[in-house]
Amino acid sequence: MIGTRRISSLVAALAVLVLLLMLVSLMAGPAPLSPRAVLSALVSGDGVSGLIVRDIRLPRALLAALIGATFGLSGAALQGLLRNPLAEPALFGAPQAAAAGAAFVIAFGLSSATSFAVPVAGIAGSFVATGALLAIAGRRTSLTVTLLAGLAIASFAGACVALILNLAPNPYIALEIAFWLLGSLQDRSMDHVIIAAPFMMASWIVLAAQARAFRALTLGEETAISLGINMRRVRLAVIAGTAMGVGAAVAVVGAIGFVGLVAPHLVRRATGYDPARILLPSALAGAALLLAADIGVRLVPGPVEIKLGVVTALIGVPFFLAIIFSERRMMLETPA
Amino acid sequence: MTESAALLQAKEVGVRIGSKPIVADAALTLRAGELVVLVGPNGAGKTTLLRALAGLALASGDIIVQGTPLHHLAPRARAKIIAYLPQGHVFHWPMEVSAVVGLGRQPYADAFSALSPEDRIAVARAMAATTTEPFVGRAVTSLSGGEQARVALARALATEAPILLADEPTASLDPRHQLMVMDILRATAHRGTGVLAILHDLVLASRYADRVLVMQHGRIVADDSPDAALSLDRLASVFGVEAVVADTGSECVPFICRPLPHA
Repeated sequence: MIGTRRISSLVAALAVLVLLLMLVSLMAGPAPLSPRAVLSALVSGDGVSGLIVRDIRLPRALLAALIGATFGLSGAALQGLLRNPLAEPALFGAPQAAAAGAAFVIAFGLSSATSFAVPVAGIAGSFVATGALLAIAGRRTSLTVTLLAGLAIASFAGACVALILNLAPNPYIALEIAFWLLGSLQDRSMDHVIIAAPFMMASWIVLAAQARAFRALTLGEETAISLGINMRRVRLAVIAGTAMGVGAAVAVVGAIGFVGLVAPHLVRRATGYDPARILLPSALAGAALLLAADIGVRLVPGPVEIKLGVVTALIGVPFFLAIIFSERRMMLETPA
Repeated sequence: MTESAALLQAKEVGVRIGSKPIVADAALTLRAGELVVLVGPNGAGKTTLLRALAGLALASGDIIVQGTPLHHLAPRARAKIIAYLPQGHVFHWPMEVSAVVGLGRQPYADAFSALSPEDRIAVARAMAATTTEPFVGRAVTSLSGGEQARVALARALATEAPILLADEPTASLDPRHQLMVMDILRATAHRGTGVLAILHDLVLASRYADRVLVMQHGRIVADDSPDAALSLDRLASVFGVEAVVADTGSECVPFICRPLPHA
């Protein structure tokens, strides 16, 4: 059995990595700062460096860490629930619906892409989608029905975004939505952290509480039930938890793919393929991934910042393929 | 309750899927220390009955577990009393063998699934009973079918529940592994567990069972000693096969000769 000590050291190493990346995130940008300058600016908050660190870079670093962790945890939870390494948050349509809600608000001039109304609309969108999913899939239905309903809702939300782009009153708004959809942590403030963080943290609690169930599900749904797991409650908790966390995340930063899919794979082998023990390392790996990607977009020289969602996909895909390549033998032995 | 040792009593149990009755008016008793084998043709309702007894299928009638109606038991309380081994063995992740066997302790686990010292002892006992200790540290998916079947059985035994319900535990195993699994089930019963197993192999059933239940068209048509339950007449009427009694010198077992022209 993979030792508890090994998991603890993995968690500690990942936590240190996340903290280091947060520090780098506060240092990096058009005006590079030394670690000492960053720390004194955080403490005192005086002058220009105080303004840069506290008002511009800190919300960005916090959001990257919170959102990365939310995606990493949601991905690991969904993969545990579905017993499938391909599962990711987008399966249930929550991120797409959040994007649709946000796009709607931007399109009809209710706000600019970085204001408060966008995350509110996004979170509302993901809750509407989850409500619809639960209503369609019902209380007692199988996972297949739930997945099909999720697919339908995701497609519908995607079509809504397309319709909004289609009907946008002028090309500038369409461009604003398109850019927002690419995902970015630029120009986010502490207000965004305050509105999104409670939803994300609540989702962590809801998802982490299902750890026992994910582990029992290794033996299939029937056996998990015979081991005392209430599957209906677990399914509801995972869907609602994912909608809450991922909906809030997407509502604040736009569509950022691949973190939820990749993060669990980074730590799966190190956690002995245990779907319960993977949760915390996967959340930390997700936070590290998104922090690194967000530092990356700032370090690439150029007139415009490359969007975060673009980078996570561009880097995420080859990385993901490399993992699949190295693990394909193991995966062949795993029933789908 | 007639006997204090009756672990599980079922009366007038019925299961419908849609409007179709799959199990009807089933009655049975399982006592401590007993190995009862449930046989019947494909589609007779054996698995459905076993699932109903495990609380996995909605059933009408009375199922009393250690004096308590099954539907009054909370899922975890039920899981501590009834261990269920489903047909086939599913392992969705290549977890280590000892971690898989440890899943049998889930009904006792806290939120983080940490194993207590008692849990570890139960896991060690289950692995010793199934001689799966050599596989410790190996990924369960890297084992052969027979080895995986033993690990799956060890997982069910690790719960140390008073009742074990096993659905075709010998399916797709080689003869040696079939005997190994049956020996483990018999030893488990000798330790005081009430074991109810579905089997297709009538020789194994007659050789190992204390009692045999025969199911046909959703009903239990015989509940008797192996010899009486698996009489040649019944093999003809229920299974549609012609058989003879083979005397091996130490025991008499049914030997199936040919299908009857019309069953």
